[in-house]
Amino acid sequence: MNDHIPQITLKPLTWTPHLPPVEIAEATPAQLEAMKVTPSAKKVSPYVRTLAHDPDSYVARTVLFNAIMYAEGGLERADRELGALGASLVNGCQYCANVHARQHARLNGTAATSALFAGRRDALNARDAAIMDFAEALTATPPCADQSHVAALRAAGMSDPEIQDLVHSIAIFGWANRLMHPLGHSD
Amino acid sequence: MTGSPDAIDSAIGLSPTDSLHALRALRPEFVSGSEDCRAAVLTPAADLGLSPALRMAVARRVAATAEMPRLLAGYPAPADPALAALAEGETPEDPALAALARHADMIARTPRAASAAHLAALQEAGYTVPQIIALSELLAYVCYQIRVVAGLSLLKGDAA
Repeated sequence: MNDHIPQITLKPLTWTPHLPPVEIAEATPAQLEAMKVTPSAKKVSPYVRTLAHDPDSYVARTVLFNAIMYAEGGLERADRELGALGASLVNGCQYCANVHARQHARLNGTAATSALFAGRRDALNARDAAIMDFAEALTATPPCADQSHVAALRAAGMSDPEIQDLVHSIAIFGWANRLMHPLGHSD
Repeated sequence: MTGSPDAIDSAIGLSPTDSLHALRALRPEFVSGSEDCRAAVLTPAADLGLSPALRMAVARRVAATAEMPRLLAGYPAPADPALAALAEGETPEDPALAALARHADMIARTPRAASAAHLAALQEAGYTVPQIIALSELLAYVCYQIRVVAGLSLLKGDAA
């Protein structure tokens, strides 16, 4: 079904903050301690240094983020990435959408993300379509997800513990998108 | 360990005998992590000059966008009249609070519209960079909680 959709390889974007990040040389002990924890255990990026202005919330959120996206067992990693991608597209966070589309493609191949970026939702398989529909409805303000979305996820083979993981992966991007997009720009 | 019921249990209307309570217990790191975040944005040890009362008021304004009464009840209305206007969705008279109110509404409802100009407006209203970061985390935390509660509520009663 996807064979007539050109397969897209997304190039990484660079994120630049609108506000001055913490300079390592001027960081307080609390800020330095906070920056030992990073999202996805990546390097201390400009994003990390920008949010490190408030070390308490930075650490608490990053610990929760890593638990939601990487906790053992439960929902497949690729499905968590698709939930993150769905939220990011609704919230207009180009940078997060790019990162999590590339993560999804790395785990599951480029079929789903190529379909999405080509505007071909009809080419998604039933499970991916159910995840995207739920992500969009839960991301709306106010959220409009209902039992029909849960029924579609269950029909696609998702258990309630897995749906709980999906809820959190969508919700944490209701948070992350509201930092990454308002606080900087990407190109 | 976090107390039971926690803020998410209360916002869902969850009792310890509900099957959803057992479902939540399968992911203790999500439960404790969400509570730690709530404390970090509402009542942090270092408040950066943003009082707990101010934080609670702006959180209540964002929580109201969810149209979920139990969730809103987790953010009590402030006694201070200036903060009450902020909390209840009105336009506060104080210019700094009015700027914060406008920013909170945009972040909660139309985050894709955000631009550098919105941050410049907060700086012009007198907020420091660390305060803008702390407020950004607070506003976005409430948006996270709204979606956890909305999603988990759909699993209440018939959780496997």
